[in-house]
Parts: sequence; structure tokens; C-alpha cells
Amino acid sequence: MELQKFNYDNKLSRLFLFATVFWGLIGMLVGLTIAFELIFPHLSSGISWLSYGRIRPLHTNAVIFAFVGNGMFTGIYYSTPRLLKTSMYSELLGKIHFWGWQLIIVAAAITLPLGITVSKEYAELEWPIDIAIALVWVVFGLNLIMTMVKRRVQHIYVAIWFYIATFVTVAVLHIVNSINIPVSLFKSYPVYAGIQDALVQWWYGHNAVAFFLTTPYLGLMYYFVPKAANRPIYSYKLSIIHFWALIFLYIWAGPHHLLYSALPDWAQALGVVFSIMLIAPSWGGMINGLLTLRGAWDKVRESPVLKMFVVGITAYGMSTFEGPMLSLKSVNALSHFTDWTIAHVHIGALGWNGMITFGMIYWLVPRLFDTKLFSVKLANAHFWLATTGMLFFAVPLYFAGFTQSLMWKEFTAEGYLKYPNFIETVVQILPMYYLRAFGGTLYITGVIIMMVNVLKTVKSGKFVEKEEDQAPALQIHGEDKGHRFIESKPILFTILSLVAILIGGIVEFVPMFMVKNNVPTISSVQPYTPLELEGRDIYIREGCYTCHSQMIRPFRSEVERYGDYTKAGETVYDHPFQFGSKRTGPDLAREGVKTGPIYKPDSWHYNHFMDPQKMVAQSIMPPYPWIIKNSLNTGSTAKKIKVMQTLGVPYPEGYADKAVEDLKKQAAGIAQGLRDGGIDVADDKEVIALIAYIQRLGTDIHKK
Amino acid sequence: MTTDKQPIQHKDADYEIDTLTNDRLLKDHEYDGIRELDNELPSWWKWLFIVTIVFAIVYVVRLWVFHADDLVQKKEFDKEMVDAKASSAAKQTEVFELKILTDEVSLASGQETWTKICSVCHLLDGGGLVGPNMTDKYWIHGNKIEDLFRIMETGVIEKGMISYKDQLSQKQRLQVASYVLVKLQGTTPATPKAPQGDLYE
Repeated sequence: MELQKFNYDNKLSRLFLFATVFWGLIGMLVGLTIAFELIFPHLSSGISWLSYGRIRPLHTNAVIFAFVGNGMFTGIYYSTPRLLKTSMYSELLGKIHFWGWQLIIVAAAITLPLGITVSKEYAELEWPIDIAIALVWVVFGLNLIMTMVKRRVQHIYVAIWFYIATFVTVAVLHIVNSINIPVSLFKSYPVYAGIQDALVQWWYGHNAVAFFLTTPYLGLMYYFVPKAANRPIYSYKLSIIHFWALIFLYIWAGPHHLLYSALPDWAQALGVVFSIMLIAPSWGGMINGLLTLRGAWDKVRESPVLKMFVVGITAYGMSTFEGPMLSLKSVNALSHFTDWTIAHVHIGALGWNGMITFGMIYWLVPRLFDTKLFSVKLANAHFWLATTGMLFFAVPLYFAGFTQSLMWKEFTAEGYLKYPNFIETVVQILPMYYLRAFGGTLYITGVIIMMVNVLKTVKSGKFVEKEEDQAPALQIHGEDKGHRFIESKPILFTILSLVAILIGGIVEFVPMFMVKNNVPTISSVQPYTPLELEGRDIYIREGCYTCHSQMIRPFRSEVERYGDYTKAGETVYDHPFQFGSKRTGPDLAREGVKTGPIYKPDSWHYNHFMDPQKMVAQSIMPPYPWIIKNSLNTGSTAKKIKVMQTLGVPYPEGYADKAVEDLKKQAAGIAQGLRDGGIDVADDKEVIALIAYIQRLGTDIHKK
Repeated sequence: MTTDKQPIQHKDADYEIDTLTNDRLLKDHEYDGIRELDNELPSWWKWLFIVTIVFAIVYVVRLWVFHADDLVQKKEFDKEMVDAKASSAAKQTEVFELKILTDEVSLASGQETWTKICSVCHLLDGGGLVGPNMTDKYWIHGNKIEDLFRIMETGVIEKGMISYKDQLSQKQRLQVASYVLVKLQGTTPATPKAPQGDLYE
């Protein structure tokens, strides 16, 4: 057979690798900043674009899409051509992908601190950036699929299966969850509302973890672990079963983010059982990773690359067991809204994604630059800093989550909440926040050491721009049966993956949107007034949802603390929903209910926004002086009402024209009340709108 | 590229054997030097998967067909509330004489409640902020222990004072009212709020 010569282009891998290291450091430094902001609430010094609520989304987006994203592309562009014995389909598409992706990251880094956000977690970016993401993603997918088409090996390897699943699923998730109607260039409202929006969002959010943080990294594991250990994959059969089971089951599990909420029981149950059924498929990946190292454990002791892989895969095994446990209602009753979740995701991010990325980088850099790693000792130091950093991060937060949750739920013998004031439960766990920041510092120190090591290695070598290889042209033999058959048909494989990941979403969404009694109507629930709507947009802009939930769960402890539990019908005008996922501060779903247990007067809120510690001495909430100072922009109020009407919110015909007038009237009333209490404030300040919104929260069902 | 090892051919001609583990390598499975073994699924893994699937089936059948009490959210909640009512009957039945408490233990408990709850609006030293100054001799709703006790029960919602009858027991309310009258009255706070209400001598 005649051998054909071709090249592997290393330029793209190199670019993505440097981007991984750079954005990784940035994303983690932002994370460290918000960890310190929780300890020192005045750290942001009244600067809006440094405040926790605005940069927490920057941290999550940067780590997920910039660090892990670039990491996955580094490995995909390195391994795909080698596994398919061909060069990538198009260098140009690769370049467009790289620079497009970096531009998107820069756009995120600018817009999120400015408060330009949709507020749906890990999907915060506004619609123009969403469109850019979709386009760049298609460029990536096209390049991947066309490379498979022009391959020289008959069958596609398991790593590529995972890349395919990543491409198709992320495309579907991103598009479906980002369908928004624009108000302006930087503002849009999701077409879904309330509990339905929440279901779509957590279908997306959970599967962003599954198909952005997990499947591509399993693909990387299937390439780099056997390469680095020079060992065969433990079980091909296991690869098949765990791949298909994983992608089919994962997509169903989103509702476990909404256990004990206004989501109907049947949907919650799907979230529970599909999460439990995911244990084995997830562990299939762990087994295939770890058992591939059988016979090579002596190498693991010496090689920092393999050590990192082992810890990474072990962290994967731990968090994919913990995840299903957190999806059991009894465990979730304790864990949800606490730091337990934060600890859980960081075992995944710091352990699995971090360690696999670092191991891959230490393996790749010497090969890309045809040299030896500058210092194995420094790499080992990085390994230990990362491992201990992860433990110092996670263990205190597990303790914090557990402690705080038990305090929230504790009653005295007489039947009163033992800790009725939320702040007591915060003060109790503050020492754990110090330890977490310490753990984060260790972890980042490790990354900085890696940067030095990588730079020194790069300097000592010479970049290998292209690597030559040769292989005979593709010849399909007809005798393939079973799974071998679809491995030789990449387009069919892609379609089958798409079908596998569509089923779960369809089964959950169709009844939720079509069957009316899933969201029972409550007649007293009315649309927000224009002022409240503007206030709500400030709430969204400031990322209040990053610390305050708006979902009172059906527990005695929550009903006593916050008021009646949240009903699905109360959320029907919430584009987007604001349930939140973490209670660093108390739930606000019934903040406005005057007869409720947490009501505060307007003047309290005013003082609290200006200086939270004045009202609650030990509060860890930052001050919001700019909301007090800024005048409310009512330029797009009418447009907002119109967009809401398009979305089915029943404002009267032509109300948009009257909206600003109504807004001013309501604002004047609130401002007058504040002035009567001795607070010097003008009618047109943003804080008035925010107070209007806060005082509306949860009140509709109490109206007669 | 990096395949450096020639596996030994065994008697079984269809397979090569991995020398380090004695497992069979799959023929024709080589990707950039990566080989795959023909190992079966670990049986404990298969069983784990089966058990979770059985769990799933049992779970949804219990909920969707039998509407099990521990799985239907509304039933669970109602039961929790009924149980709570039964176990904390004391909340309704405790009876106290409305008299200022002067013992240090009660006053210390009163101070604890003040710090946890009341200080949010009246400040730690009682100087007042959103709520009125509790250290001076001016009172909006009266200065007797009954008055303070009553306001904590009913609240003054138009001013932002909520009812604490579901959050504080009668005993706790009595203690904190006593703390105000015995300990806070007559002290000098750092930033006293201007007098509100009528002067009571």
C-alpha cells in the first residue's frame, strides 16, 4: 500500500496552550478576589465593576470557557489529527476558532464587570456575544467533522467520540438556553419565564458541566493518559457502554438543581433517578483511566504528569459519586444553597479539569518545543501545591455548608428557630472562608510556578511547527459489525450522538411547556410595574442572585424564616427567573411581604444598600453607593414593556407609552416616604427602583 | 511514533497479549500508538449500574403510581408542619406574668436577643437608626413593659417593625423588653437618634 505524507500543525495547539495558561491564571485570580471579598466586604471599595455580584460570573465564565475551554481545544487540536492520521481540515477555520474564542473571552471580561448580563448562570453573556459563540462553535465543529471525513484510519477512537458529543451537545444547549428577545444591544430578556426558564437553565447549566467540563476532558484523558503512560486502554467494551450511557443519561439530570422547589414532582424525580443512574457510566470513565495505568504505577511515582492525571481522575470519580448523592432529596435538603455545592464543583474544577490540564501541559510543552521539561522538581512542587490547595479549599467549605445548613434548620424546644437572624449562621462559618482563600492562594501559587516552568522550557527548546507523518489512504473494509460499524461512519456517529442527547430534554420540556397544570395559575399574580421592572434589571445587573436566592423551599425551617414557600404560578412573569443557587445572604422571595418574618421598611433598605454594616454589623455584603448616586435611565423602559408584551406578559394594550409616567409616579411616592423619614434622596435615583422591586417580592399571593 | 514495545505473540493467533497484565490486546485497534485491551466490563461495575437502574424504576413507580408519602413534596411538607405543631405545643401555651425581669440571667438572655435581632434596626447600643432610640425617655407607643411586649407581638408594620410573635417566644420577648427598660434606658449611645414620641418621666 502506498504511504501518503502529511503534516501535523502544532501552531494551533501552541496558541491554545498559552491561552489556557494565561486565562487560567486570570480566571483563578478573579476567583481569589471574590474569596477575599467575602471575608473583607469593603475590598471592592465601592467600585461597581469590582463588586462580588459582578465579578463572580466573570470567575465562573473565565474558568469554564477560558481556562477549560482553551484547555480542551489545546488537546483536541493536538490529538484529533494524530488519531485520524491526517492534518486538520482547515488551518484557517482553526485560526478563526482561536481568535474568535479569545475575542469572546475579552468581550466577557469587559461586559460582565459592567453589569451587562442575562443572569442565567454560565450563560450570562448578552445576545451579541451569544451569537458570536454559536458561530465560532460551528466553525470548530465543521473543522472537527471535516477532519474526520478526510481521515486515513478506518475507525474513530473513543477520544473522538467524546469530542463529537461535546460539539453537538454544547451547540444544542447554548442555542436553546440563549433564545432571548433583545431590548437593546446590551439588554435582552429570555423567552422562558420563571420555573420554565429555570428548568431550561439548569438543563443547560448541568449539561455545561457534563459536556463542557466532562466529556471533552474524558476525550483528553483517553488520549493523554495512555500516551503518557505508554499503556493500552483498559477496556474497549467499557468505553462503548460508558460513552453511550453517559451522554444519554446526563442530559436528563438537570432538574436535580431544582429539588424541593416549585418544579413539579415528576420532573424532580427525573432529576433524582437519572443522576443516580449516572454513577456507573461516570465511573466507567474513571476505571478506564485508572486501570489503564496498571503495570505503570512505578512510572506514576516518578512522573508529575501521571501523578496529576491520577489525582485528576480520582477527583472525577469523587465528584461524580458526590453529585448523585447531592441529587438525593434528603441530602439535597441539606446541601442546596450552601457552600457544600461550592466545594463539590471545585473538586471537579480544581481536581479534574485543573489536574488533567496541568498534566497535559507538562506532557505537551516539551514535545511542542522538542526539549525536556525545564524542571521536574518544580512540576512536583506544583503537584503538591495544587493537591493541598484543593483540600484546603474544599474541606472547610464542606464543613461550612454542613454547619450553616444545620443552623438554618435548627429549632428550639419551644418551636422557634434557634438562629432566626441569618447573620449568625454567616459569622459561624467565616473562619472557613479564610481557609478557603488560603487554599485558593496555594493553588494559584502552583499555577504561577507552572508558568515559570513552561516559559523556561519554551526558551530552552525550539518550536516544532509541523510534524511529518505518513499513512496509507483510507480504505473502508466492509466487514465491520456492531459498534465497529458506526466507528467507521463519523457522520452517522454524530447524528446518533445528537439523537441520544435530544431525548431527555424533549421528554422534560414538552410537558413542562404544554401541560398547564405544571404551572398552576394564581390569579392575583400581576406583572411588575415599570419601576419594579427597572429595579429588577438593577438586581440582575448587580448579580444579587449570586448571593440571594428567591426560592423558599417547602420546609418548616424555611417557611418560618422567610414565609410561605414559593409557588410555580408566582414566577410566570419572571423573564429571567431569579431563584439563585447560593445563599450567602438570606432568601428574598418574600422580602416585600409586610406580614412576613423578614420585612424591612424602605428606609432600612436605603441605609443597607449604602452601608450594610451600619444595619447589620457583621454583614459581609458590600456597599452599593453607585445605586444611591446614579439616576435611573428610563430611556428603554417603554421598549422593555413592549418586549415583555411580546413574551406574553399581559400589560394593557399601549401601556408602553404610559410606562415612564407611571414609573415616575411610583418613584415619587417611595422617595417622599424616605424623605419623610429624614433621608435626603431624589425621585429619580436607581435605589428607588430597586427598593420598589424588593418590596414587591412575594407579595402578590397575599393580595386579596 | 511512540510505539516502542513489540507485544509477544501467544498461541492464540487472533490476539496479542499485553505482557505487563497478561490481558488480551484487540487486533486492529491502534490509534497514534494507543492500543486497547479486550477486557470485559468489571462485574461489580455492571451490578452497580443494574442496581441504580432498579433504584430508578422503583423510585418513579413509587412516586408516579403510588404517590408515596415520602416522595410527594406537598405531603412531605404538610406532615412536617403537623409534626412540628404537635411537638412544639409549648409555643401556644406558655403563660407569663408581664412584669419586668431584673435577674441577671434573664437580662443576659434579653441582651442576646437584642444583639441578634433588635440591633438590626435599633443599633447595638440602642441609639436607633431605622427604629427609634430606645435609650431616651421619649416613647411612641408607651414605656411600660406591657407596651413593649405588645408592640413586639403586633408590630408597627407601617413603620417597618414586624411582628415577632412567631420568631420569639413570650419569655424571650419579656426578657428583651426588660433588657431595654433596665439596661438600655438612660445610657448614652454613640449616635443617638432624635427623640420621637412623647416624653415619659
